[in-house]
Amino acid sequence: MIQVPILLADSEPSFWLPAPVSNFAGPIDGDFYFVYWVSIFFLVLITLLLGYFMWKFRTPPGAHAQSHKDHHIVLEVVWTGIPIILSVMMFWYGYRGYVDMTVPPNESISIVAEAQKWAWNFSYASNGASIPGMSDDFNVVRAQVRAGEINAEQAEAAEAKILEKAGLHVPMGVPIDVTVMAADVLHALFIPAFRVKKDCVPGRTGKLWFIATEPGIFDLFCAEYCGQGHSWMHSKVVVHETVEEYEKWLEVAGSYDETLPFDENGKIVWKRRGCISCHSIDGSKKVGPSWDGMFGSTRKFTTTGTPGEAMADEAYIQESIRFPMKKIAEGYPPQMPVVKLTDKELLWVTEYIKSLSQNSGGTESPRKEN
Amino acid sequence: MSQSETDARPDSDEVKSAAAATTSDESGPSYLTVTKTFSSWAFTLDHKRIGLMYLIGVLFMFLLGGVFALLVRTELFSPLAMITPLFADTAEAQADLYNKWFTTHGAIMVFLVIIPGVPAALGNFILPLLLGAKDVAFPRLNLGSFYLWVIGAIFFVYVLFSGGIDTGWTFYTPYSAESGTAVIPALIGVFILGFSSIFTGLNFIVTIHKMRPKGMTWFKMPLFLWATYSTAVIQVLATPVLGITLLLLILERSLGIGIFDPRNGGDPVLFQHFFWFYSHPAVYIMIVPPMGVVSELIATHSHKRIFGYTYIAFSSVAIAIFSFLVWGHHMFTSGQSTTMSIIFSGITFSVGIPSAIKVFNWLATMYKGAIVLNTAMLYGISFIFLFTIGGLTGLFLGVLSIDTHLHDTYFVVAHFHYVMMGSGLVGFIGGLHHWWPKITGKMYDEFLGRIGCILVFIGFNLTFIPQFVMGSLGMPRRYYTYADKFEVYHQLSTVGSYVMAAGFFLTAYYLIQSLISGKKAPMNPWGGNSLEWHTPSPPPLENFHTVPVATDPYDYEGLEYDPATGNYDTKRTG
Ligand code: HEM
Ligand SMILES: [Cu+2]
Repeated sequence: MIQVPILLADSEPSFWLPAPVSNFAGPIDGDFYFVYWVSIFFLVLITLLLGYFMWKFRTPPGAHAQSHKDHHIVLEVVWTGIPIILSVMMFWYGYRGYVDMTVPPNESISIVAEAQKWAWNFSYASNGASIPGMSDDFNVVRAQVRAGEINAEQAEAAEAKILEKAGLHVPMGVPIDVTVMAADVLHALFIPAFRVKKDCVPGRTGKLWFIATEPGIFDLFCAEYCGQGHSWMHSKVVVHETVEEYEKWLEVAGSYDETLPFDENGKIVWKRRGCISCHSIDGSKKVGPSWDGMFGSTRKFTTTGTPGEAMADEAYIQESIRFPMKKIAEGYPPQMPVVKLTDKELLWVTEYIKSLSQNSGGTESPRKEN
Repeated sequence: MSQSETDARPDSDEVKSAAAATTSDESGPSYLTVTKTFSSWAFTLDHKRIGLMYLIGVLFMFLLGGVFALLVRTELFSPLAMITPLFADTAEAQADLYNKWFTTHGAIMVFLVIIPGVPAALGNFILPLLLGAKDVAFPRLNLGSFYLWVIGAIFFVYVLFSGGIDTGWTFYTPYSAESGTAVIPALIGVFILGFSSIFTGLNFIVTIHKMRPKGMTWFKMPLFLWATYSTAVIQVLATPVLGITLLLLILERSLGIGIFDPRNGGDPVLFQHFFWFYSHPAVYIMIVPPMGVVSELIATHSHKRIFGYTYIAFSSVAIAIFSFLVWGHHMFTSGQSTTMSIIFSGITFSVGIPSAIKVFNWLATMYKGAIVLNTAMLYGISFIFLFTIGGLTGLFLGVLSIDTHLHDTYFVVAHFHYVMMGSGLVGFIGGLHHWWPKITGKMYDEFLGRIGCILVFIGFNLTFIPQFVMGSLGMPRRYYTYADKFEVYHQLSTVGSYVMAAGFFLTAYYLIQSLISGKKAPMNPWGGNSLEWHTPSPPPLENFHTVPVATDPYDYEGLEYDPATGNYDTKRTG
């Protein structure tokens, strides 16, 4: 069938659609505008007829209709036939576009996107680097902008700083194959500028792929409702201009600075690997227990239904991280996902939790401030 | 249950006294005044009283659902916290509260307002009248259906007072299996409401099959009956699936049976299949009856034979059938197989065609009619416009490639509000105005009526057009806070919702006023020719003083307007 739609696509952000910056954006926008113009045509036609008939045939009560003709076979055929033809075309365009989106090419860069309440984590197959979405840090910047504490330029700089070690990074012009997963409930990876979306289903893997066509920084949202933090579970996509630039970034971002003290690296783990979304460090209660003063305290829990008690020592903490469903802390839902930390990350984060029992404190990240 | 039940009314005293009254005076007591005790209402088997009680209940729930809508819209006026801080201290608690608001809004509007709105409230009242019958086939079942609705509503109110529910009206697993809110009571409520809906459907199917008057063949029925019949079939066939799904979810939550929750080896996508297997047909439960209302409105107020009767009738049936085959279009991004998505997309377009056929036939009905632009007709015209937008935007969502981008954004939110509210509810309100004189015996203020309709129309479009735009720009749905670039669209939308609310409050005002001081309604104020216009307003308990003979519902030529009484009298021509 003729490929009209692609001719209709914009190359700039428009009233209806964000900037098209992936290989799919052009075709999908074309399909969008095809349906759009068909719809506008029928909407205008129907509205004009409605308005004209309302005006032309309006009467006070009591008048009789000018005609009672109540069927016209040719009209019926026309207004059934034309929608059928247009529908078939729409279906066909959509089908073509969709099939293209389901099969990633062989030579692509593989990234795994893991969603959990309420954080993203991106693992890069080439070097195993695990990079967080850092929703909370972006929220802090936004809050500062809205409060007038920093201006747009400073905000941009702050975001760039966060993105040095966060976000979904991809090179331009290379197929990227993203496997999506979820640790707890449904989420969905949505990048409006690329026109891609895939549900992250716990217990299953999903796939989406794209080729970014322009360098820049773009929004990444969670599109499937996942509870309390759904609306602040967002991150950014960074498109690097060249593969070299991307690889350089990946090498730096993927590594921890091993010269730092353990507990400092532990704090980075807390943020990077999403512990932050459920565990506070200032004593406030979130989905999970706060880490403030946890180490060394007596923990009450249930294990397969029977209550128990133990001192939170290193072994207890590491077991809770590795097998979160084994001992469920009293007063908290059994909702902690299994976050696969490396041995070093586990060590660091344990040290960090330990350090929180020595000196309490830390800052909470504002999300939607009052 | 047998047919003889129709006549076996336990309140036969009522019937006798009513019968006695009518022999003495042509316009004796109406169904409203024939008995006055509380129990004569609470245990009535009269379809009109049951319909009226349903109507009051549904309108009250509409108010409640509307309050939550306004809370949601007000909160979204800004990406900063607006009104949640009045009720909750921490950012987390505020987000939770917002999630409860939108869930409550959606669940109330879908299960307690729009699904029962036209069939159970208006349909109950009007369906036997259209058939010239005394009542529905199973009056007791009818009363049972109403009480189930009440019990369902009580469960919802209980949910409100026991901390609310935050799963969204779709109850997607595994979130609904682990959410700490009052999910089980809400599920039980919806389960019970499902039976209420099944009972109504059953009753209507049997009534239409068995109780048509002499001379009314299937193709001489008013189109509203075709619409309620098609809907009833969906209600009876699809609702049990919802019931079982909800039971399974209750078991998942309480016993962890591992059907939907992956932690116990279940499959969350299976829940979506089950849910939409009901809920897609359910969207046609919400729209087909209002379409039937609109067919009556447009023909009656244009005083012209309905155009393309058979096409409209068959399109209702076609919609009912196809609606069972498209549920997967809600799951294009869920990871269901590509082949399945393609098939579902293809069939989805087949639902659009009958919808288009209806719109064109309504337009053709208006052509060369004698159109009286009163409130009911304005609602009918609003319906055509809003439904056109709702249907056309459905096409975007049915196109696989476009839906990948639009799914779970505000575009979908706007689409289903155009069809469920802009069409479903506007059709319901239009029908309410059309049959108000028949139901209450009173005329309302037409001037205020038109203003109210125009406010609703403007407010509605202002609320939801910006949602299309922000949705296609990438604003996801069910967001408590959002990126700053979407702020202006949210602000327009919120203002629109206030305009719409003003329209509805005005409507409530003049309708209530009409009950107190409205002019007495004549038998046939609009010039309709279906049977309900051939009996007094409001009708007597047994509906008709003499057993009516089927009329041609769309033949308006035998009616002459009398400006003195405001009635259309039947001409006695040779
Ligand atoms: C021309 C006919 C229609 C077509 C082609 C159509 C198509 C669609 C599609 C494909 C979706 C899924 C969108 C998504 O989630 O990404 C959808 C959603 C929806 N539609 Fe329609 N639709 C049509 C008419 C209607 C009507 C008449 C109603 C109801 C009265 C309706 C109610 C809904 C609802 C309630 C949803 C979404 C519910 C949710 O996700 O919460 N649609 N429609
Ligand atoms: Cu659907």
